[in-house]
Amino acid sequence: MKRYLFLGLIYALALVLPLFIGEFWIHVAVEILILGLFAVSFNMIFGYMGQLSFGHAAYYGVGAYVTGMLMVKASVPLAICLPLSMIGAGICALIIGYFCVRLTGIYFAILTMAFGQLIYYIIFKWYSFTRGDDGLQGIIAPPLLFSVNAYYYFTLFIATAALIVMWYISESPFGYTMRAIRDNADRTRFIGINVRKYMLINFVIAGMFAGLAGALWGPFNRSIAPDLTNWHHSGTPVFMTVIGGPFGFFGPMIGSVIYTFLMAFVTGFTEYWPLIIGLVIIFVVLFVPGGVLGFYESKMKVFRSKVPKSEETIP
Amino acid sequence: MAEEVILKVEKLNKAFGGLKATNNVSYQMRTGELSAIIGPNGAGKSTFFNLLTGYHLPDSGNIFFKGVNITHWPPHKITRLGIARAFQVSNLYPRLTTYENVRQAILSQQKKTLNLFTPAHRLAKKETQELLEITGLSQQTNMTAGNLPQGDKKRLELAIALGNKPDLVFLDEPTAGMSGEETHETMELVKRLNEEIGLTILFTEHDMSVVFGYARRLTVLHQGTVIAEGTPEEVRANEDAQRVYLGEEA
Amino acid sequence: MSGLSQGMMLFLIASGLSLIFGVMNILNFAHASLWLVGAYFCHSIWFRMQDYGFALWLSIPLAGLVLAGIGWLIEVILIRRVYKRELPEQLLLTYAMVLIIGDVIKIFWGVEDRIIVRPPEVSGPVFFFGIPIDSYFIFVILVGVAVAIGLWLFLQKTKYGHIVRAAVFSREMVSALGIPIPRIYTGVFVLGIFIAGTAGAVQAPVGSITLGMDMAVIIQAFCVVVIGGFGSLLGTLVGSIIVGEIYAFSILFWPQGALALIFIVTAIILVVRPWGLFGTPMRV
Repeated sequence: MKRYLFLGLIYALALVLPLFIGEFWIHVAVEILILGLFAVSFNMIFGYMGQLSFGHAAYYGVGAYVTGMLMVKASVPLAICLPLSMIGAGICALIIGYFCVRLTGIYFAILTMAFGQLIYYIIFKWYSFTRGDDGLQGIIAPPLLFSVNAYYYFTLFIATAALIVMWYISESPFGYTMRAIRDNADRTRFIGINVRKYMLINFVIAGMFAGLAGALWGPFNRSIAPDLTNWHHSGTPVFMTVIGGPFGFFGPMIGSVIYTFLMAFVTGFTEYWPLIIGLVIIFVVLFVPGGVLGFYESKMKVFRSKVPKSEETIP
Repeated sequence: MAEEVILKVEKLNKAFGGLKATNNVSYQMRTGELSAIIGPNGAGKSTFFNLLTGYHLPDSGNIFFKGVNITHWPPHKITRLGIARAFQVSNLYPRLTTYENVRQAILSQQKKTLNLFTPAHRLAKKETQELLEITGLSQQTNMTAGNLPQGDKKRLELAIALGNKPDLVFLDEPTAGMSGEETHETMELVKRLNEEIGLTILFTEHDMSVVFGYARRLTVLHQGTVIAEGTPEEVRANEDAQRVYLGEEA
Repeated sequence: MSGLSQGMMLFLIASGLSLIFGVMNILNFAHASLWLVGAYFCHSIWFRMQDYGFALWLSIPLAGLVLAGIGWLIEVILIRRVYKRELPEQLLLTYAMVLIIGDVIKIFWGVEDRIIVRPPEVSGPVFFFGIPIDSYFIFVILVGVAVAIGLWLFLQKTKYGHIVRAAVFSREMVSALGIPIPRIYTGVFVLGIFIAGTAGAVQAPVGSITLGMDMAVIIQAFCVVVIGGFGSLLGTLVGSIIVGEIYAFSILFWPQGALALIFIVTAIILVVRPWGLFGTPMRV
């Protein structure tokens, strides 16, 4: 129960944030939420199912382009674009996932990356449809959400709803089946579960939420480009998840806070952001492999073992 | 208890590279049997289980379960039809707790694993606790499965297999690593399950006292071939069996 | 012809990548980045000596040696810490190296393109049955063939080569024979980077040296290794030729689609035969 109190506190803080900080940092906060949503969706495949998808940005990008193009070319209201983006991203994930879930490990990683690049390539080259490398400009949010603060609350609302849904999924029998597949796929077959089918379902759900995140990005950034789908952008949720910790639900979100803050801060005084984040990642991989959450958990274990055992609560 | 044939294996063959692991094996089990397969290491017992549970595809031959031809079925389909398996080397979910391990099997059997929105900790509580009690794991409910002592791991193996409410269970060395007392407890449980619910059980063991103490029918495997079959007394008296296996046993 | 030289360039990069993965099970994302560093070093060395006729011919092996040294440092400081780790951590480490090396190149060499002027021996065309062929392309192909033969001889005829081949097949077996695995890993990694660095140096006089070249190339190198099969020299050779030819042919029918075709072929191989044309079949 203590955890819910803590969450409630964070949420209350998030609600009153615009009163305390300036527009630039609200901007950063929106970015944290969107990329955090992206990273949490990635973690459904990585932390919960145990596979490394190096092409997750494809679905983010597809979501961004569905919303972007509908808004720019057909003036479809944002509220309708969002679910359509999720569906579009979901369909992509279904087609790509169908092939990817036949593999695991390094092969899964490379195949998801190859497909991700394929999507990047299609968006890049299909100039007549997507305006290719020029990108899509002029994605304007509806008047109601025009100000940064308004868009912040909008994103907060959507992201919270999405996180709640993903939380329920992770704690459901399906979510536990994902953990089972991660920890012992063979055993899971022997208790009667069609592992491939379940992996595909999870892959599609994760893709849909990545698409939602991408859809939110368009009106925020006012423009989108094919870069959103390439393998570099696929690295972002991986970094965030590793920094925050892949074995807890909020790990990727914590990672997003750290990563986005760090990036906003570092790019303020140097262009060598890739160098910095590269060093950070190496540091985390070598010395803090469980990420922030993992570090916290291990400290808690030491703490708990020193405290007299009253009731052992299962985390 | 109807005594029809629940499992029928016809002329099963499997070779790995040049090695013939299963050589023209035919086998049958009736509902309610408590039987054992024995043989020296490398005789092909695990391969036999692997073929029956869909882990490997046979080169030739047929497997019928409850009258259905399951020869080329994938493992998850075979499990759904009613076969479960406890592995020789513990095949658990090391990061989940004992409770969560058993619950996973039960949720799968109850076909609730596609449920995306009900918190799992609310489901299958009674059934999971019952199964943990039956297999003597109530004390270890919240322990991480990877940290369990060897004997408990084997018991958890059994619990997971039972979680699927199978009609037929394969137990691969169910008492390996157990103390004398644990062995007795486990095998008594196996016997009870067989007598009270009519669970058909086939097990392999190296501990001959267990085999002769509990199995009502014995099959001896050597280099992938069945060389003797019958009641324990018949097998004990069989010269081929003696020469190949029992003679080696202290 | 250009398909063949493209294929050879990819072969030089992919051979080290395939070797490292086959023996150490580590997919070196930064392989092409180190290749690019090799090109930059070659330019720097050549630049200081460009008044001498042998400048290029000296710069290439020197750059290779420098990269071998860098490869050794990287292995000792970073790579060896993740041998026992899981796949994601290894991938992240080498991916982070891509980012770091990219910026390091920027810091030391700046953002401008570098050009190496070819010495007269290889500036002009060579005539083959009346068709002019760029003589440097011939040099690149010769180097590729030399590396292929050299690696083949090493793997088939020397004791160390046998150990490396055994290690690709089974690490446990080699370790059980009392051969120190860590030393093999270091040697293989250094060899792989040496080849990559030399390849970069050899490639340097073709066109110009630009930032970001490594990005385009690494993905293609992955495709080559996937198609040919990890850990197989023959596979890498065949894979590079296939990819090179896809390039050559798509220029005729679908100029824009070369990369897409390569990805599609890679995807097909991964689905149908994940261990590649010549790799060792394994449970996926």
